[in-house]
Amino acid sequence: MKTARYLLPVLCLLTITPAFGQVAEGGDFMHSIGKIYVVLAVVLAIFIAIILFLVFLERKLTKLENQIQQND
Amino acid sequence: MQLIREIGFLLQKEFTLEWRQKYAISGILLYVLSTVYIVYSSFTKLEPAIWNIQFWVIILFASVSAVVKSFQQESGQRQLYYYSLANPLAVLLSKMLYNTLLLLFLSILAYLALSLVAGNQVQQARPFALALLLGSLGFSITFTFVSAIASKASNSATLMAILSFPLIIPVLMTLIKMTAAAVTTANPAAIDLREDLLTLVAIDLLLLGAALALFPFLWRD
Amino acid sequence: MLKHWWKILGVAILFYVFVAGLLVPLKTGISAVSPQKVAPGESFTLEVTGYNSRYTQAQGQIRAWLKQDEAHALAAGSVTVLDDRRLQLAFAMPEYLPSDKKVQVLTLLIDDPVDGAHVLPSAMFVTQDSIAPGLAGSAWTAHPVEGLHEEWTMSYPFRNILQETIRNAYFHIPMWFAMIFIFIGAVISSVRYLRKFDPQDDLKAAAFTRVGILYGIMGLVTGAIWAKNTWGAYWSGDIKQNMTAIALLIYLAYFVLRNAFEDPDKKARVAAVYNLFSFAALIPLIYVVPRLYDSLHPGSGGNPALGGEDLDNTMRLVFYPAIIGWTLLGLWIAQLLYRADRLRDRLWMNA
Repeated sequence: MKTARYLLPVLCLLTITPAFGQVAEGGDFMHSIGKIYVVLAVVLAIFIAIILFLVFLERKLTKLENQIQQND
Repeated sequence: MQLIREIGFLLQKEFTLEWRQKYAISGILLYVLSTVYIVYSSFTKLEPAIWNIQFWVIILFASVSAVVKSFQQESGQRQLYYYSLANPLAVLLSKMLYNTLLLLFLSILAYLALSLVAGNQVQQARPFALALLLGSLGFSITFTFVSAIASKASNSATLMAILSFPLIIPVLMTLIKMTAAAVTTANPAAIDLREDLLTLVAIDLLLLGAALALFPFLWRD
Repeated sequence: MLKHWWKILGVAILFYVFVAGLLVPLKTGISAVSPQKVAPGESFTLEVTGYNSRYTQAQGQIRAWLKQDEAHALAAGSVTVLDDRRLQLAFAMPEYLPSDKKVQVLTLLIDDPVDGAHVLPSAMFVTQDSIAPGLAGSAWTAHPVEGLHEEWTMSYPFRNILQETIRNAYFHIPMWFAMIFIFIGAVISSVRYLRKFDPQDDLKAAAFTRVGILYGIMGLVTGAIWAKNTWGAYWSGDIKQNMTAIALLIYLAYFVLRNAFEDPDKKARVAAVYNLFSFAALIPLIYVVPRLYDSLHPGSGGNPALGGEDLDNTMRLVFYPAIIGWTLLGLWIAQLLYRADRLRDRLWMNA
């Protein structure tokens, strides 16, 4: 179960990245303005990964809080 | 000196045990033969490059199944008995040595069987033989140590594969690259073995050093 | 506040990396020319598309050459500025080239006081039927390449395939460095665990390993996006991509191993042993094996592409801080994970 939760962000990222690719193949969007949108996509990917990590940490802490309440 | 004597005794014990439980070794032999036959019947005609890769894949899987039992076959009490008598390094080294010999035997057998059904594709014997030797050594070091780790857990057979396959890839890739040259060209001047050999020896020594340093921590229970 | 100084430092450095990495402009470059093939003796007009160029400001002062080597360059007869981005250069290719090659590759060099000198390597291919370097004539040496405007400006180099994506050097490459540093942190914690058997060191090692995996995944994903738009495929089976994927497999197996144990002491001990052994296996994976194979990554064939030799001095000013910044951020994330795990263990003990 723990490993499954670990893999979730990976799977999410894998489904997001092809979305960028489709735009690139459809038009010239990714290659316009000196390919600056590639940099945007890379920065967004890092941002999404960190947000997913925060969600993971949030759930972990919520669990701990529930446990503390049960103990009291 | 004491260490070498202990290794000698333990090695003898490994051979005796293997001889008594003939089903284990014969199972592995049958495993090699049937994989070779499956490879042969699914490809029928093997290109040299494919032959090379198939050979190492067969060795890889046979090695894992041959080595996985190293630390499991011994029951708790017997292990306790060894541990009170022998140096941990002697136990590990004797098992590694035994497994190296076993894997060398297995790879020669796989080579003979594959040559029989798919033709002998090796054009240069010397680099190929060196690769077999260093490959058996590297596989034996990694797999023996990982089997020691995996034997601490309950479902160790699956764990063994998960833990050891990623770890063995550097050794495997260097081996495949080294023998690819021996299989595809007949000209001995065309291949420069020094770099690959150095890499393999370095990796083997590194893993051996790490295994020797870490084994005493696995040992105490 | 004082004990958080390194987190503040890491965030400040990353802030600098994002601002400088995204705002500093690229140097002027040449993104396209046409035609790309001419025959000797032909007079032609070369259409040039510049990048980040200000040709209208430089009008009248633009000079251009088709350069064969240091001694031989053919100057443009006339330069017409269409707009800031487009130039028309008139060239008269002589009958003979000062070269004994059948196909000679020429480099386009443009110089003006506003944008400075900028080049396009392999801009033009000339196929000559009769090779006679002796007959090349004075056209190749009459206007030597002199007096170039090469002032230092705060800008990143222009590379034709990379273009603006050269900025990814601050967001993709440091992931890999930070991953290694954080795995080294896990190694140190594992060693400390095996010396003192303090369960907290085990929790630290696990937290470091998690963050290392996070960074490895970020490196692979950002690399895939970058590769798609420069090399043409998300996954090109490049040796460095494979190696990172294998490193991730090794460390994911670390967590499978941890979950296989019930007894916390045994779990911590075996996990520390595996962590150290797998790091030993990772060293050849990262530093030795990539040297044996060709790679699309820069610096392949003999060095593991630390990125250093492909950076100019301006990029170093951002690249090295980026490594430190991402590593500090990773340490912060690891500390949060470790603290959450420690809380969980305290609760278990009290319950």
